[in-house]
Amino acid sequence: MFSKISLGRYYPAHSFLHETDPRVKTILYAVYLVAIFIIQEPVAIGILGGIIILQLILAKITPGILWSTVKPMLPLALFIFVINIFTIKQGNVLFSWKIITITDYGIGKAVIMAVRLIFLIVSTSILLTLTTTPLKMSDALEKLFAPLSLIKVPVHEMAMMMSIALRFIPTLAAETDKIMKAQQSRGADYDTGSFINKVKGYITVLIPLFVSSFRRADELAVAMDARCYRGGKGRTKLNPLHLTAKDVLAGVMFTLLAALVVVVDFSLR
Amino acid sequence: MPEDLNSIVIKDVKFSYDIEEEDSEKAPRLALDGISVTIEKGSYTAILGSNGSGKSTLAKIIDILEVPDSGKVVIFGKDASDDNLFWDIRAHCCCVFQNPDNQIVGTIVEEDVAFGPENLGVPNPELRDRVDQALKDVGLYEYRHRETTALSGGQKQKLAIAGALAMQPDILILDEATAMLDPSSRDDFLTLVEKMRVEKGLTLITITHDMTEALRCDKLVIVNKGKAVMEGRPEEIFLSDNLWDYGLKRPVKFNFAFEIAKLTGSTLTKEDLRSDESLIAALTAMLKKPGIKAPEVSEDIKTQDEKDIIMSVKGLSYTYDGNDAKAIEDINLDIRRGEVLGIVGESGCGKTTLISHMNAIFRPSVGDIIIHTKDGDLSCRNKKDTMKIRQNVGLVFQYPEYQLFEETVFKDICYGLKKMGIEKAKMHKMAYDAALMVGLSNDEVNSSPFELSGGQKRRAAMAGVLAMQPGILVLDEPASGLDPRGRQEMFAIIKKLRDSGTTIILVSHNMDEAAVNCDRICLIDHGKIKAVGTPEELFIKERAEELGIQRPRISRFSGLLQEKLKKEFPGIVFEGMNFSPEKEAQSIVRSVCRAGGADVQ
Repeated sequence: MFSKISLGRYYPAHSFLHETDPRVKTILYAVYLVAIFIIQEPVAIGILGGIIILQLILAKITPGILWSTVKPMLPLALFIFVINIFTIKQGNVLFSWKIITITDYGIGKAVIMAVRLIFLIVSTSILLTLTTTPLKMSDALEKLFAPLSLIKVPVHEMAMMMSIALRFIPTLAAETDKIMKAQQSRGADYDTGSFINKVKGYITVLIPLFVSSFRRADELAVAMDARCYRGGKGRTKLNPLHLTAKDVLAGVMFTLLAALVVVVDFSLR
Repeated sequence: MPEDLNSIVIKDVKFSYDIEEEDSEKAPRLALDGISVTIEKGSYTAILGSNGSGKSTLAKIIDILEVPDSGKVVIFGKDASDDNLFWDIRAHCCCVFQNPDNQIVGTIVEEDVAFGPENLGVPNPELRDRVDQALKDVGLYEYRHRETTALSGGQKQKLAIAGALAMQPDILILDEATAMLDPSSRDDFLTLVEKMRVEKGLTLITITHDMTEALRCDKLVIVNKGKAVMEGRPEEIFLSDNLWDYGLKRPVKFNFAFEIAKLTGSTLTKEDLRSDESLIAALTAMLKKPGIKAPEVSEDIKTQDEKDIIMSVKGLSYTYDGNDAKAIEDINLDIRRGEVLGIVGESGCGKTTLISHMNAIFRPSVGDIIIHTKDGDLSCRNKKDTMKIRQNVGLVFQYPEYQLFEETVFKDICYGLKKMGIEKAKMHKMAYDAALMVGLSNDEVNSSPFELSGGQKRRAAMAGVLAMQPGILVLDEPASGLDPRGRQEMFAIIKKLRDSGTTIILVSHNMDEAAVNCDRICLIDHGKIKAVGTPEELFIKERAEELGIQRPRISRFSGLLQEKLKKEFPGIVFEGMNFSPEKEAQSIVRSVCRAGGADVQ
């Protein structure tokens, strides 16, 4: 079950957004992050949804891939939805029983909150993880945060760490699956029993997983050493980042669209 | 002192992984204890030794991944202790390690190949050329935009080779690089590496547990307890009688040849061992000597044909989510009580999927598996039977040591028993019985599983499954990654279990071991059963060719000898196949005695 997690996974394809400079995508991501959290009006949210669909098309992401990205986050979205419904008491009361009060305003707000979360996940996937390989993403972050290295922030090392972490997600997911199966065959049960028992059960997975992660880290460090890795100094790049007119255009266009959404939102308040 | 520009010189090197503590009483354990080795430029050398002998450390010293505590390392005239030459030496030496997953840095194939040369600061467009060329050399060019995690094990190791070639090294070290590959990817991989060695003039150093693989080299170095104990051409080394002291064995065909020499009262010379032709010529000459005594037929204790079925797989199919192709399709298989059934097939053929169904880790959706026990039949489709099934069918996955988690081996062995709700006194007895069965001492049972050596960990993890005293034991590649002695011990444990009445299902891709240890073999190909039969039925030359499987090495070599003997002794009749080299040798000598004996009289 863990091997199907697509969070943080790259989706290989040739699309407009795949080929856009990762720095532009990173900045756009920041812009959309802000936009998603500012807007409140349904109309603005609708327009933003349209822009996201446009981005999905430009990234050639199939509905199946999109679904596998959103699916694991649905319980969280549902949780946020429920919490909002029950805690917001403003507006016209639709239903009331003991301490539970549901209002029309509460429902509207809850929907908006849940949709925002889903937008957030989809944006992260389209602009970053699905269309950008971890190495490119770390390149982009390294370049964008390069000024910080002046005040001795190890920017290159942090970017490298992040890209390796992402590279190992599928490997560790497969390993988790393997360990769980092995423990199950010894009688472990992860589905039934009390909550405490379930948590205890995961110890049988977590300890071997930690041990193996340390072993992998050790071996990877030796392998990187053997391939003459010595930090960012003097490194060249197979695919160096080139900012083209097309990238700038994409950046400006999508920033303007985000601005439009925010303007519409404010004008409707 | 004039430096030798054409060899790797290791002299009196000592090295320890332990950090010396000031008030520690015992001296740190030395991984290398004054080792001296010389390796010529352009040669093909194998470093052999048991697990923990220090051979991998030696490889790391050559690539200066570890710096020796004392001694001298000079690589083609460059002194490794000179800080100015450090990167220069490392840049010209590349390593490929055992676990393919733990050496891939990039998400995309070409990004990973570029990692090395990028570190060296190779500028574009040369960088692009190198990456493309390296990918073409190993045959992965079409995969350059693929995700690295989507590659097979064999492809991942080729990717590692491409990553090394892109750095344009002088020395290539393979540290058990073939250990995790199946036989066909193994041959493929070695052929590729040997081709690259010739084309690029590489000095190739391989660390391996596979003695037949070592035969391909010009020179062997045997490492034991941190020292080089033997050095020489393969035929010189394998002539020696004390290989077993170092946890090693002769290659199968040499075991066979030495047994014939013993039976005919002759001796083999290193010239005889040089090639298959010379060896067959020597053996034929031995067998033509007059006065050979026919060895007695050693009685093979085969269990009588047991018809009692303990597990039946019925019409089982399985498809993984999001896949169109079936992982296994319409599997029908009866497992007999008390037999050792081998399941063989290439990587990805569905072996693991099949065995995962056997104790209901995967619940059958199409078809079923029925387990016949004293207390009635259990169905893998029936959720209520799950716990009983897991008690009756023990499943040991590949590399089971990765599932250990408790503070002590004892607690870990007890884990399954506790889950079964077995009372304490009985639990202790069962756990100790299991530990005894796999040969763990009391000290080992009470220590942390993470302090044990690789082979001991493997046995501790097996004990965790054996403790439940399952009537059926499923083992997925139980000997992978072990040295020859460790493998032999593992198969001794399996034999002991079989003798005590346990039915064993053994997944393997090593045909040599499957042939010797199994009563029947089930061949799986692309998710379907291609053939089921005794090793004698499946490994007959014509049948094996028809099935497209590799015959055991002993059968192939014995076949060559038999061809030759047919010419020398017209009318010779050979007995059936034997898969143990010693027994096959005896059978050949007997056949010759019958054919030749008639001539003399």
